[in-house]
Amino acid sequence: MSVPILKQGDVLIASVQAALTDHDLLQLKDEMAHKVGQFRTRGVIIDVTALDVMDSFATRTLRNLAATTHLRGAETIIVGIQPDVAVSLVQLGLTLEGVATALDLEEGLAWLAQPRAA
Amino acid sequence: MVTTEARVDIARDVDIVTARQHGRELAGRIGFTGSDPTLIATAISEVARNIIVYSGHGEIRLEMIAGAGRHGILVVASDNGPGIPNLDLAMRDGFSTGNSLGIGLPGARRLMDEFEILSEVGKGTTVTMRKWRR
Amino acid sequence: MLEFNKNDFKVFGEMAEEDLDARLRFVDFTPEDFTRLIEIKDEVLDHLDEHLAAFFEHLGRFEKARGLIGSVSLLQEATQLQREHLIAMVGGDYGIHYVAQQFQLGQIYNRAQLDMGLYMGAFHAMLSGIAQRISARFPGDSSVALAHYRSFKKVAFFDLAIVVDGIVADREQTIRRQQEAIRELSTPTLQVRERLLILPIIGLLDSHRAKQLTDTLLQAIRAHRAKVVVVDMTGVSTVDSKVANHLIQTVEAARLMGAAAIITGLSADVAQSLVTLGVDLGRLNTMGDLQGGIEKAEQLLGYAERSTERTGHLAD
Repeated sequence: MSVPILKQGDVLIASVQAALTDHDLLQLKDEMAHKVGQFRTRGVIIDVTALDVMDSFATRTLRNLAATTHLRGAETIIVGIQPDVAVSLVQLGLTLEGVATALDLEEGLAWLAQPRAA
Repeated sequence: MVTTEARVDIARDVDIVTARQHGRELAGRIGFTGSDPTLIATAISEVARNIIVYSGHGEIRLEMIAGAGRHGILVVASDNGPGIPNLDLAMRDGFSTGNSLGIGLPGARRLMDEFEILSEVGKGTTVTMRKWRR
Repeated sequence: MLEFNKNDFKVFGEMAEEDLDARLRFVDFTPEDFTRLIEIKDEVLDHLDEHLAAFFEHLGRFEKARGLIGSVSLLQEATQLQREHLIAMVGGDYGIHYVAQQFQLGQIYNRAQLDMGLYMGAFHAMLSGIAQRISARFPGDSSVALAHYRSFKKVAFFDLAIVVDGIVADREQTIRRQQEAIRELSTPTLQVRERLLILPIIGLLDSHRAKQLTDTLLQAIRAHRAKVVVVDMTGVSTVDSKVANHLIQTVEAARLMGAAAIITGLSADVAQSLVTLGVDLGRLNTMGDLQGGIEKAEQLLGYAERSTERTGHLAD
């Protein structure tokens, strides 16, 4: 089951589902990398509100996704990390350092809308 | 009667999701609250992936356990894969042989209360973990 | 077949895991006892109503049994189940179903808030009647009668242990739930401004409570869409390394949810403890007192709204 990617202006939004397999995640990463170039995207939002488990693979893949989109000129922000998931990430020692995070879609869009120093 | 055990065959990445969903459900039934079901599901996810990445095929067994007046969950992840040649190294945070952060097993250990790993080169690996309800 | 609902199972599970054989060994139940029970089973089965009456009529004499006697549904349930169980007592099968049945009976009495002492008294009244019947069965041979009654008494004590264990386990569960509730109450979050939460921590902070705090805080961040949280530790006098680590983890988890945390009110002792424990204070955003923390928070929030030059993520 692939993750749907929506376009909102110069922002791409992907909402992942709970039963996300490793293949789905890798597919998302590849698709994002392509689409960012395709649409001259400025920002990417990965909404993980529905994700009930974020393990080391998911974290690693999302970090790679953020690094890739950055190279192609877009900033990525992960939104919607649930309280339980946040606790497990911290206990695992995965802090998603270097990747922006925000509470939800609204916050993510607000963050992307702010002009940044280059 | 309530089921207190589950077995999941691990062969494809979708099985990782199945295993952790079963884990979350069983954890809930055992009475784990707060973020514990998620921690347990995450630990299961890590060991399940470990099976696929290093062995290709294995099994995860989940069981409700009791001892000294409290309840908990037992997770046994086993495979007949190549085994882990240097366990010490593998259990050290940050070490990796595959294309990974090497955080799977040490990570799972941090999320659970008890963690044992037995591995024999050429025979396979068995990871046994337990978490107790407070 | 007895069905258990989820809550019953947890309490029963804590008991049933005990070796059933061990329970029989505890009362020294032997094959001879088994034989004797079969020999006197008619003394019980032929006079079921009489024995049950002894039990319930004894209860009826006391105010403290009001909860049971006054409830038509509970009384009906109890009478039916007690009758079935009395039959089972001389049935010879004391496995999981027998235990489950006695456990369920115990839970009914627990629900009716039946005083344990009174329950024992009624149970004894019932046993007395059964003793008399057994005595009458062996006229002129009191030692034989006694031996048979003793065998029956073993089963009776086996039963009592189950009832007691069940009630204890149930009460412990209630106490645990109440403690949870109390902990919940003692860690309220206050919303003072939009997107700003204050979490005052009062009293003794142990590892378990710290974990609870984390859960409360993170849920509150989500519920109030907070961007800044001020964690006030004025009311905390000591912290150990576990709690210090919990604190750091809480701050990091809050960051993952897009909220910045400011720690305020660290006493000189606590501050020194943290330094000694080697806690990475660089990762903590701190202010001296609560007022300072709120001002800093407003600054952070105002900064985010007014800024035209963004230089970094709010929570950094």
